[in-house]
Amino acid sequence: MPIAIRVGAPRVVPTRGIPYPTGDPALGPKEEKAWRRLLVQTALRAISTPVNKPTVFKPGELTT
Amino acid sequence: MKVVHYVNQFFAGVGGEEKATVGPEVREAPTGPGRKLASLLGDEHQIVATVFCGDDYAASNDAAPAEILELIKATGAEMLVSGPAFTSGRYGIACGRVAAAAHKAGLVALAAMHAENPGVAEAAPAPVVATGLTAREMGATLEKVALAVKKLASGQTLTPEDGLVGSIPRRNRLAESNAAARAVDLALTRLAGDRSATEIPMPDFGAVAPAGPVTDPSKALIALLTEGGLVPAGNPGRLESARATKWLRYPLEELPGLEEGSHVSVHGGFSTVVANENPNRILPLDVARELKDEGAIGSLYAEYFVTTGNGTSVADGARYGVEWAAELRKQGVQAAILTST
Amino acid sequence: MAEQNGLRRLIHTVRSAGFGESPGLNRGDLVASEDALQALLANPALASTRLTWARPGESVRIVKILDSIEPRTKGAGGAGMFPGFLGPALPQGTGETHVLRGVAVVVAGKLPRAQEGMVQMSGPAAELSFLGATNNLVIEFEPAEDAGWPQVDEALRLGAMRVAVALADLALEAEPDEVHDLAPLNPGTGGSLPRVGAIVNLQTQGAFKDVFVYGRTMAASMPTAIDPNELDDGAVVSGQYGHPGLKNPTFVHQNNPVVAALRDRDGKDLVFGGLILSPEPVDQTLKELTSAHAARMARQMGLDAVIVTKEGGGNADSDISLKIDAFEAMGLVGIGIFAEMSGPDGTGPPVVGPPTTATAMVSTGNYDERITLDAVDRALGGEIVDLNGLDAAAEMVLPVAAIYGSLSPIGLGRLTCATEVTA
Repeated sequence: MPIAIRVGAPRVVPTRGIPYPTGDPALGPKEEKAWRRLLVQTALRAISTPVNKPTVFKPGELTT
Repeated sequence: MKVVHYVNQFFAGVGGEEKATVGPEVREAPTGPGRKLASLLGDEHQIVATVFCGDDYAASNDAAPAEILELIKATGAEMLVSGPAFTSGRYGIACGRVAAAAHKAGLVALAAMHAENPGVAEAAPAPVVATGLTAREMGATLEKVALAVKKLASGQTLTPEDGLVGSIPRRNRLAESNAAARAVDLALTRLAGDRSATEIPMPDFGAVAPAGPVTDPSKALIALLTEGGLVPAGNPGRLESARATKWLRYPLEELPGLEEGSHVSVHGGFSTVVANENPNRILPLDVARELKDEGAIGSLYAEYFVTTGNGTSVADGARYGVEWAAELRKQGVQAAILTST
Repeated sequence: MAEQNGLRRLIHTVRSAGFGESPGLNRGDLVASEDALQALLANPALASTRLTWARPGESVRIVKILDSIEPRTKGAGGAGMFPGFLGPALPQGTGETHVLRGVAVVVAGKLPRAQEGMVQMSGPAAELSFLGATNNLVIEFEPAEDAGWPQVDEALRLGAMRVAVALADLALEAEPDEVHDLAPLNPGTGGSLPRVGAIVNLQTQGAFKDVFVYGRTMAASMPTAIDPNELDDGAVVSGQYGHPGLKNPTFVHQNNPVVAALRDRDGKDLVFGGLILSPEPVDQTLKELTSAHAARMARQMGLDAVIVTKEGGGNADSDISLKIDAFEAMGLVGIGIFAEMSGPDGTGPPVVGPPTTATAMVSTGNYDERITLDAVDRALGGEIVDLNGLDAAAEMVLPVAAIYGSLSPIGLGRLTCATEVTA
């Protein structure tokens, strides 16, 4: 995530691990899918939000 | 100085793509662009031989640079010039690797190619001079190369004014005062308002102007992209596990989600066991489909784009980004979700 | 008499040093009694010790260097020098301190976790270490058979301090070459001049990689404020034997170069506004807590700018970066002193853990660049260089990081690094 910000990615959603950006093998199948859904929902929130510099959107937060 | 010139099979006049697999060979004279280069170098420096190799052989065979180096050393030359490779990826990589090998073997070495050719990163610590995009600019390029050859042969180092590109080495030297005194100077300079003064430059990744927001995702066409090396089983497009030289596109139509076995990650930078158990961990197609069916996403673009982000040069990464953006815009895509490993 | 609460520093410049029958300091000529110094090193943890002088210009290499100390004393036997070790752990930095300039006591030999660091006393490489310009009294040792390594370490530390004090005691009656009256830090605002201070990070990674403040490890401590005059009297002592090029031996703390640079300009174009010592925790959460705390302290001191120094490799970079980022986030100026690690050819990224927003960095050189050490007539400290298995006196090519103090991350050296754009 710090690298994404440093290279100037405009909208960034932090996730849990390099080998599974949209997953978390520590969770059960249902919980993991719910987590992935939350990440994509957060990404949808990010693309609908105006930004003027690299901005982090934390999963689940309703505002930036 | 005695110079040896490296070119690919095409510029050696051997043939095109059908000859890309030929191994390295020597010609005891300037060949192809080497003839013009030889005349630009005049009497002081002679091109004593040309070494050439097929693009596929040179760029995809790990032993190729060493084999080519043996032929170069056998010519008795003191200097190697490789290229110009312009924007040709395999040729550029070969020129870069050959220049790096020659440099390590103690020869003066120089490569020539476009600044964004992936071969630039391969050449270090040998210098690379930038060229135009294509062989149409051969004349001006060779003039620049000839000047660089003369400068290097005289024991000087190249500068960005000579067309030098790529990572420019940093070298130790003794300063006038100790680091503590310089730190106090820097503090006062910064306090006086110079917000950029520093002895160590921050890596410069350029600036990206963020795109405006999508007004309504439920009406938008959205693409899924990844640099996680995720490809259909069997890796039909032969995506590299590191230092990818390309990006690929694969269909997502008809797929509700990704299944174990249908897609695998070829990324060489991490253990892919967890990703391969459930490829949605790299590309979240299953939940994106759900959100589309529920109306939160207007529609999903019918393909995904993929490369491998592992040891990839910044120049390559930036080029893929530009190409992706252009392609998606052409297809009417308004937003993209890119997963990063 | 020194100013109230201040320190008077009496500098005795030593031009030659050796052993002899009539100990004393006479016009810069230092003569010490070998037997008297040997007696100070006697300790059950040490089977034997050997004392040898290594002087600038001699064809000598010292290998396996551990700590080095500048000889100083406040009166016969030390009289408060090295508080917490030779004297009680009571505040120092007042009264008079005699300094033998141009001399160092150097401990050399094998200890666990120590990384091979060396200095060459002649040729171009001599310029890369502060010990290349001093008359070095080298202490070599054989541990006692039944002694534990921590006891050996402690015996060497105390012995070297005693030797350093005893050498400086020889100057107690001599006329000093220079006298410096050093006031304690002024708590005032300094009018229109900017207040600039320093944060000194100390590497605190357990036995043989530890730094002591008033005789105690700094490991579990929060950052603390200290007067620069206390450093002059040995309040900070190094027991850190890793990272030869990137270490801050006791000698360097006694002569903290950032303190010296700030003192030089105090009242001219800045006010020296404060000095903070901070540990370098291993744990990321503690790194963040410690850094935030140090930045807050610096702000409470009213500093407009702070210079942050470190000890150690890439891990310690983040102890600088976190602090200067935190300071910058408060709208103030943070300066970091970094060594570069851009590979033997100098083309890699210079800093592994650079700051995010604070971008003012001073470079102490590229760690990985290779240098050639010419063969020498004799070596002290050991017979073999562990890094490469070569004879300790042989010609060898090494990363500059193997030279003791070469990339001084506290800012003592002149080495730096720049992008090569000209011939």
